[in-house]
Amino acid sequence: MDQGDINLRNLTYGHLRKLGRAPTADEVAHASGSSVDDVRAGWRRLHDAHALVLNRETIELRMLNPFSAAPSAYRVEAGGRWWYANCAWDAFGIFGALNTDGRLETSCPDCGEAVGIEVRGGRPNDTSLLFHCLVPAREWWNDIVFT
Amino acid sequence: MNLFRSEEHIARWLGDREPGATIPIAKVVELGLAWYADRLHSDWRPHTRDQNQGLLNGLGLVGEFWQLP
Repeated sequence: MDQGDINLRNLTYGHLRKLGRAPTADEVAHASGSSVDDVRAGWRRLHDAHALVLNRETIELRMLNPFSAAPSAYRVEAGGRWWYANCAWDAFGIFGALNTDGRLETSCPDCGEAVGIEVRGGRPNDTSLLFHCLVPAREWWNDIVFT
Repeated sequence: MNLFRSEEHIARWLGDREPGATIPIAKVVELGLAWYADRLHSDWRPHTRDQNQGLLNGLGLVGEFWQLP
């Protein structure tokens, strides 16, 4: 990953924070003074380096980990906004990325019961819940959307 | 990577699938906070594999399941 791609990546994440959603290639191209094709080519290289995740079909952003560009089962309130996370781990990662407390709303995948968790000062208000990671670490990036 | 009410709920959700790893929610909160702490920094640099493995190991997430490629 060269410095140009790191700059593109950091600009893309900066827009996410500013807009409260994943930016389009047009928006990043406008901000960077480069072409949409250049932004998409850079995003492809960043995808291959696991620095972000693109939709397979559209070359639009799918994940700016820990943030999800698509609606998901993990809704997070943090920093005065609601965000989507990719999974439970990433939901708590949003608090880390924004350096703030917040709230996660999701549901148990087995019974469907709603789950709401507040995290204050790095501590969850309900410690009875369990986190299950199905895929071993060596395989996470084989299919990161499934993981 | 999901949150469940209990071990019983995990087992029912897994069905015939091989289980992965189960950890308490407090541990995954620590993991999320540490893993993504620098993700929005304007001077972010990519983590090395060893940096990320160090984060897992530092939280006691050790063993073959948690070994990065």
